[in-house]
Amino acid sequence: MFQHFHLTRRQWFGILKWSVYVLVFLLTVVTQSAILSRLRPFGLKFNVVPILLVCICLREGPEKGGLFVLLGSTFYALSGVDMGNVSLLVVTVCAVLSAFLCQTVLADRIISAAVCCFATLLINSSLIFAYKLLLGLVQPRSWLTVLLPSAALSMLFFPLTYLLVKAISRIGGDHGV
Amino acid sequence: MKKKLTAKTKAILALALVLAAVVTIVGALTLATPPGENVVQTILSPFRAAANAIVRQAERYYNYIFQYEALEADNEALRARVMQMEDEIRTADELQRENERLRQLLNLTKEHEDYELVSAYIVAWEESNWKSTFTIGKGTNSGIEVGLVAITEYGQVVGLVTDVGPNWATVTTVLDSASEISATVASTGYNGIVEGAYATGQEGLLRMSYLPTDSVLRNNDQVLTTGSTVYPRRLIIGYIVDADIDETGVAKYAILQPAADFDDIEQVFIITNYENQ
Repeated sequence: MFQHFHLTRRQWFGILKWSVYVLVFLLTVVTQSAILSRLRPFGLKFNVVPILLVCICLREGPEKGGLFVLLGSTFYALSGVDMGNVSLLVVTVCAVLSAFLCQTVLADRIISAAVCCFATLLINSSLIFAYKLLLGLVQPRSWLTVLLPSAALSMLFFPLTYLLVKAISRIGGDHGV
Repeated sequence: MKKKLTAKTKAILALALVLAAVVTIVGALTLATPPGENVVQTILSPFRAAANAIVRQAERYYNYIFQYEALEADNEALRARVMQMEDEIRTADELQRENERLRQLLNLTKEHEDYELVSAYIVAWEESNWKSTFTIGKGTNSGIEVGLVAITEYGQVVGLVTDVGPNWATVTTVLDSASEISATVASTGYNGIVEGAYATGQEGLLRMSYLPTDSVLRNNDQVLTTGSTVYPRRLIIGYIVDADIDETGVAKYAILQPAADFDDIEQVFIITNYENQ
């Protein structure tokens, strides 16, 4: 029965690549909640998971990458983050649309990727912020004093994440295995 | 080059919308942990605990190297002995901290003999800037339930268990906007409600509302729990650092510095049982 499960070299590399993506994603989720969230430089918190998911989607395209982001953001939403339902929707939609835009309009360059990641972070945090603002749980000025600096600070991880994802996407020597 | 979203891409977007709606609706209807969260948190909990253990170990080695460099300036004859002492210090530092915590806990349990406590290390912190929660590495397997109070070894209120799984529990700290505690000013007996001060833009501080307008409040006045079905009496919440008349003009409010040091906290104690006096 198992002779029917023959995999080509290309398929093996495909499995390897997606496994590495999963491993990096899980490592990022654990690192973010267990280590990065404790650091709080200037009282702000890092948010690296959306950056990683957007970078993967940009490299792998809106279909394969989009599916990975959907599964990843669902896992992330269920890992106990604040308003995970919003993150699930926003991160998936932003990542897929970013990948689509990069394929059709924008060039697939580091600057475009940085803009897409920053936009995703801002939209995601701003929607959560807006909801909390409606409930009177936050002050409007916190958007400028906390949300914006926090998103900017999280972008410090972008170059490393982008290069890591770029390296992983080249496993098998063929982009888009 | 494709100029339109493909059917697969549209399906992914639609599925994201459906999943987000399901998580929202189920969470809102049941007011409980969304489906799947328990599974994900249970899987992540040991990895988070391991990551924390690695960080603690790294901190120990960092401290060791730092101390070693300082001692290296000493003469050669003492070096061997210093290295031996360093090794002891490295272990003793951690033991001392734990000993101090346990000693304080002993005082606390002497003072409150009715308390039954479960100790737990913090394994993960909430990533959001607008929420103050953390995850501990113990859950229902250790007798922890939703609604139990977390304190430090000094009897300072840390927060309330709001979510629990077999080997994890989420503690919402007193800094969170969702937190409300019935409190009293120790020196004068004025009563009020203490809540997280995110809503006032004073992150990291607490706000005590509904105090009488003629109340006399002094800096560093201690604020304690008044005792309720949730919080035992006389736990330390914080210290007054500021006060003013509130927006309505008919009551006073005070800003409190939380008693627990949230930047340095690594272990908490959950009160699993106490006598409500």
